[in-house]
Amino acid sequence: MTPLLLGLIGVALSLPVPALLAKMTWTFRSPAAAVVLWQSLALAAILAMSGAALSTALWLVTDDELTWWRVALHLSLLAIGVLVWARFWWAAWNVWRETQSRRRRQRHLVDLLGEVDGMAPALRVLQEETPIAYCVPGRNSSRIVVSQGTISTLSATEYAAVLEHERSHVRRRHDLVLEAFTVLHRAFPKVLRTDAPLVQSQILVELLADDAARKAHGEASVAGALVALAGSPTPAGTMGLGGAAMVRMERLRDPQPGHLTSAVSAYLISAIVLVAPTVLLAIPWMTHAWMTLTT
Amino acid sequence: MPRLGELERSVMNVLWDAHSPLTVRDVLDGLGDRNLAYTTVMTVLDRLGTKEMVRRQRDGRAFRYAPALTRDAATSELLHAALDEAGTDRTAALVHFARSVDLAEAQALRAALDEIVARNAP
Repeated sequence: MTPLLLGLIGVALSLPVPALLAKMTWTFRSPAAAVVLWQSLALAAILAMSGAALSTALWLVTDDELTWWRVALHLSLLAIGVLVWARFWWAAWNVWRETQSRRRRQRHLVDLLGEVDGMAPALRVLQEETPIAYCVPGRNSSRIVVSQGTISTLSATEYAAVLEHERSHVRRRHDLVLEAFTVLHRAFPKVLRTDAPLVQSQILVELLADDAARKAHGEASVAGALVALAGSPTPAGTMGLGGAAMVRMERLRDPQPGHLTSAVSAYLISAIVLVAPTVLLAIPWMTHAWMTLTT
Repeated sequence: MPRLGELERSVMNVLWDAHSPLTVRDVLDGLGDRNLAYTTVMTVLDRLGTKEMVRRQRDGRAFRYAPALTRDAATSELLHAALDEAGTDRTAALVHFARSVDLAEAQALRAALDEIVARNAP
């Protein structure tokens, strides 16, 4: 019973629950808590599934007398468990390596092609008319890149808000949050994953950075910058994050963006999904296994 | 004494403006800074080499240096990554301020901005 329940929880937390949660908007009201919630869901899914494999493996060799097929199945299940975790670490290593090398290349190019600006040591200005604003995160080597087009498009306070937004990404290490979600996304087998957590995390860190910029320069300047930089439609019509700009604008429109209830609910659900499977299923089963082994 | 980063930019510009591979002495002359030491320029060229921005080729007993990619190629590589609208960069190497939206969304954004501005200006 335990392995089946754990497996069901694992599958539920990988597919239907994220899909459902992605449709709800209350998580955007407290982005920090929502980041924790999404991380917990993914972690709980991995724990539940490896728990399912482990408990099945143990049940095969404890509940009945040993036969060769039980031992063989036990060993292959353990091998699958090892493979799942190996895949996870392999994904983590690859994401880290790829990201580092892309950032390094970006940094080298930006340092050679962008002008240093007196306003901030990490700021580089590109001689381009297209409005561009982004950051290349890094522990001691971050760069904030804007183009001449950005500076001429934005007002002084809007420009300051953009810089504060990017600085907050760098300062609060939002890149680590995004990397963690990328690793989880890659670690899940294709049939068991949705894009929801990755897309949501990208929106949530933007909301957090907007909050920081808003605190320093007011919501009108952040909103103005958002309209100026995202609101100029491109002919190609390709979109990175559908709806991200509108979600950010909704939060900027909200005079009181902090919501205690949604934060508390998000933290509460995070705790439940992480702790409940362990306590309710694994512990009784483990004591049972322990008693079988010791008597 | 210019900082290392600025020096790398200047050296790269000298190489980009030249039509053929240059020796360290050529680069030093091209920079036109009397206070700059030969070894400093060599160090900078070395650093640019490890960054894969500069290629070194042997010419008799000396080395000649050439850009690994043209200025235009470097600019377009940078912009390609910077304007990655399709979001193919699943590693989140860069964090953008905003990506472009379609016409309907742009109008909705503008309406919301007007509302915020109207509220803030009594």
